[in-house]
Amino acid sequence: MTDLETIREKLGAAEPWVESRGTLWLNPGAAGVRQVTAVMNEAHARFVTITAYQLPGAEGFRLEYHWDLEGRLLGLPFTIAGNAIDSIFDLCEAADWIEREIHEEYSLDFTGREYEPLLLRKGDESGVNLREAAAKPVPAAQAAKEVAQ
Amino acid sequence: MSYRIPMGPYHPGLEEPYKLDMICEGETVQDAELHIGFNFRGIEHLAETRNYYQVIALMERVCGICSFIHTLTLCQAMEKLAGLEAPPRAKYIRVVMAELERLHSHVLWAGIAAKLMGFKTMFMTCFALREKVMDVLQAISGNRVNYSMNRVGGVNRDVEDPLALLPLLDELEREMTRTVIPIFTTSSTAISRCAGIGILTHEKAVSCAVVGPMARASGINQDLRRDAPYAAYEEMKFDVHVEPAGDVKARILVRALEILESCKILRQALTNMPPGEVSVGGDKFAFVTGTATSRVEAPRGEVMYSVSWKEGSRNPARVHVRTPTYANMPAVRWMVRGARLADTPLIQASIDPCYSCTDR
Repeated sequence: MTDLETIREKLGAAEPWVESRGTLWLNPGAAGVRQVTAVMNEAHARFVTITAYQLPGAEGFRLEYHWDLEGRLLGLPFTIAGNAIDSIFDLCEAADWIEREIHEEYSLDFTGREYEPLLLRKGDESGVNLREAAAKPVPAAQAAKEVAQ
Repeated sequence: MSYRIPMGPYHPGLEEPYKLDMICEGETVQDAELHIGFNFRGIEHLAETRNYYQVIALMERVCGICSFIHTLTLCQAMEKLAGLEAPPRAKYIRVVMAELERLHSHVLWAGIAAKLMGFKTMFMTCFALREKVMDVLQAISGNRVNYSMNRVGGVNRDVEDPLALLPLLDELEREMTRTVIPIFTTSSTAISRCAGIGILTHEKAVSCAVVGPMARASGINQDLRRDAPYAAYEEMKFDVHVEPAGDVKARILVRALEILESCKILRQALTNMPPGEVSVGGDKFAFVTGTATSRVEAPRGEVMYSVSWKEGSRNPARVHVRTPTYANMPAVRWMVRGARLADTPLIQASIDPCYSCTDR
């Protein structure tokens, strides 16, 4: 069984792993997402997903990266002030679709990668934050047009 | 000369809409592009507008085949946020429902695979078997697709006479060992269509992080029921079947053997079901602020829910769903490379895709 402490030491994380409601969380500290991915690859952890949260106001985003290590679900959160974070696609091809999906839903940029056409909304407009778009009231004329369609 | 052949989004070889754009040289597929999203309903966003009862009904509709699994995963996460634990009998009922759902999903898939092979008699045999499983699901829940069995803190209905279900298991096991498994594993028709095609190597399976029977058919020994047990799986004895070949035949074999393992688990759960309540917590729940995750081994592989809540709210703040097909689907690109065009419907079907789940 891979020692979680070894992972923590390799990342230089100051705080310990904390189990909370189904996930073993580690604050990666100064380690970037690419360093975390490299360490997870070394540990033969299986990438599971990234969960994106848009923080209130202009605070940015919180991205929770999940890996499975021998049945244990590991979670490493990253908070970003802007709307860009390094892509891990070249280190972990399993992250391809979820990076594209988050890019399409939140207009968040995973730098260092190229995007194929839209994954979920092919032919639609790119670079739109769907959450913010959904919160805006629809103009009456557009609503009438959509109803007519 | 290379040319591009689209398969889908609406095609007789597909159960649901998605699109595979294949670049071919003659009859050989050189590369493929996948397009999903034809079923995108914005369910994760909708979940934030539903209260803690409504969200269960909503997430049950993420998938028509494994609707129970989705509510199980959601309810397990919500129970962690509410500080509740389902009583032992509810955990056993959850195992029974989850394994019945696996049975009906695997038998349905075997039927569809048979149809794509041009083996219509086997298709009919499999669907007749599946019908019997559906009858049991209906007898327990009153429903054939969306069972409305899960609730926060347990299940909505009891299984009043668990032992009465045992004869069905005997019959299903007999049919599987006498008809379905021998035909899929020894018939020259099945083998000529399935052996050596759509290979996903162990290395590629690891790299793509595929899950469920697809991973196990590429030599990856993983199954959440054993590795991270939930509900009452810790008390069940069963084997996890792994095949190294990574081809369509290996995926058929893994699912066929899993049907027998599901029967084994069901027999234990029905025989040893403890007495007692089937739910706790009443009708009103208080959730703490925070995030809870839950993972379940669905028929197609790992489902993960990440649920966030703000204390005092009736609605979740965020529900993120990672479905098994979402993890498995990108690997199809590698599985069809070098394949004959005529084999591609069967190859893509061999992952047992669910686009409704994938798109959400």
